[in-house]
Amino acid sequence: MQTNPLFERTVSALLAGEIICEYSHDELYNYLLTQPVQQKVSDFLQQMNRTLRQTSSHDAWLCSYQDLSRPDAKDAVRQQFREVANHMEALVQFLRLVMVVEAAQRPISAGEHLREGKMLERISTAPSLEAKLRSLCEKDLFRTKRSDSAGQLRVVLENLTKAGYLKPIGTSGSVFLATAKWSWLYDVMTFIQTHEGIREDSAEDDPQLRIV
Amino acid sequence: MARTHDAQSTLRALATYGDVILEAHLNRGNRIALNDDNVGVLETLEHHRLVWRLGDTEDLQLKNVLVRLLDHITESERRRFASAQVDRLWSDLNRLFVDYREAKKRAALTDKSRIESEIKECLSEIIEDIRNATDTFSSYISSGFSYITDMDLRIRKNHEVIERAGQLNSLFESFNTQDLADQAGNDPFLKRLLLKYLPAALEQGQKNLSYALNQLRLTLVRLREDQRLSKLVGGFESYFANNRGYIPSIDDLDLGHCPAPLNNVAPFAIVARGDIYDPADDEDLVALAQTARTLAADQQGTEPAATLQIVEFDVVGASDPEEEDPVDELIEQLVQFVVDGDIGDGEIDALEALSASGLALDSATWLSTLEAQIDSLAPNDQSQITVEYKSQLDPLYKDNLYITGMTLRRSNESRI
Repeated sequence: MQTNPLFERTVSALLAGEIICEYSHDELYNYLLTQPVQQKVSDFLQQMNRTLRQTSSHDAWLCSYQDLSRPDAKDAVRQQFREVANHMEALVQFLRLVMVVEAAQRPISAGEHLREGKMLERISTAPSLEAKLRSLCEKDLFRTKRSDSAGQLRVVLENLTKAGYLKPIGTSGSVFLATAKWSWLYDVMTFIQTHEGIREDSAEDDPQLRIV
Repeated sequence: MARTHDAQSTLRALATYGDVILEAHLNRGNRIALNDDNVGVLETLEHHRLVWRLGDTEDLQLKNVLVRLLDHITESERRRFASAQVDRLWSDLNRLFVDYREAKKRAALTDKSRIESEIKECLSEIIEDIRNATDTFSSYISSGFSYITDMDLRIRKNHEVIERAGQLNSLFESFNTQDLADQAGNDPFLKRLLLKYLPAALEQGQKNLSYALNQLRLTLVRLREDQRLSKLVGGFESYFANNRGYIPSIDDLDLGHCPAPLNNVAPFAIVARGDIYDPADDEDLVALAQTARTLAADQQGTEPAATLQIVEFDVVGASDPEEEDPVDELIEQLVQFVVDGDIGDGEIDALEALSASGLALDSATWLSTLEAQIDSLAPNDQSQITVEYKSQLDPLYKDNLYITGMTLRRSNESRI
């Protein structure tokens, strides 16, 4: 039987728990675009109690357990959740920092560019943003002993790249592309919000605005 | 003569102060501010009865007659409420059709020819309005409402524009071919206008409009999603700020029906070895083995032995501080917490403590180290701690238990 390198790479990436999107694995994402390939990959995964799934925004593929009644599967899900839950505060702080730095009304989404130089320029001109970055670097996910903003920002971006949220592009190494792992994170956050009864942020809740 | 002179003077005033008047109309809600720079303008416009105000200290407002003229020449009103405009023109046109048929019946050729040109003008205005209206929507689409910074206002504006496009679409749909054919009858002049020019403009307009509506709806969906995500992040940020040290947990969930976003697999490593039993792989394996042997030889034999320069003897009484093992340290803290600490109902989940600590240690090693440490405590300390094991049976060997978690709890006796 002839081997299929794309199939092998796709399945290996999925089994390794990676999230396949247009920006993180363009070749594999394109390979998964057709329905027969999706079926083939899904059929293979099903023999290992796994299945192929998409994020709610349909911009990324990932691997899920097909049957969660087995204790090892449940434990794995809990463990995976703990890993993201432990870093949730740091990730939320990073999202807010980017929103403020980029003066954006919405958090970062797949396909957006982050330019380290531009971010650093804005952060270094605003002490409040420097304080936010410092606070971010006290969290486990981004912990560093660097005291300069440039070094701190580098650590943050490198760690997000390692975690699969960003991908460096170009030759400078200072421009990053957001992957669809953010979409998956927003799905998890939406679940936690509903499950834990976390209220949405709204202008009415702002005491300053209420006074005005 | 005096009336003509006054009118000319008014038109000249409008031309002289055109910039100020247009600025007031387009950007200031038809108001002209009462300040020293505008004294000349205001006096002239008041003289020509083109502005009004209630009190002496209030800004002057352009009169409605002037505003209507400005609406017409800037086409702003016309574009904004194109549906109403087209509707009004269509009513005018219907009246002209009646007049036209009447003139034709009475063989009033001069009137017929006058009405024909009026009909042509009115229809060309309708066609122009249809084109203008759809052009306006494409400008909204290309801007993506990015000129409005607030997300809520942006969504509201998008809604408004969709509503306006919807009204225009209903108006376009109200022109049906049968009605137009009935209206035209057997008159070749009306037939040419109503069955050729108007349907072509309507078809083009409808095509543009349906594209615009689709794009506007997509923009609205995107804006709503952006707003939802922004509120989501804001909500979490506030929650973390108000609940220090909060870590989301799903320990209370059975996971029987696992929500899709949580169903994430643990990494599954695919490991394969070279096939030493297949002769077809021999060549490749030999090459690999040779490389491996060369490296080993280098490392073992060719490296010069490090030469020792001096020998230092320990000074009597000197000691090297031994580094604390972070795992031991964590276990010590945990035991301390359980015995002395005021931690909720006095219990700690060992795996949660490990994941919160950030130590890179697998669960099995952690649990066995923790158990060994607790066993090695002094009997007095040990009696203060109750350990509850979470376990599961081996599916094959029923008397074997796999420990999957531990909960440390302060003993009831010691609590009292």
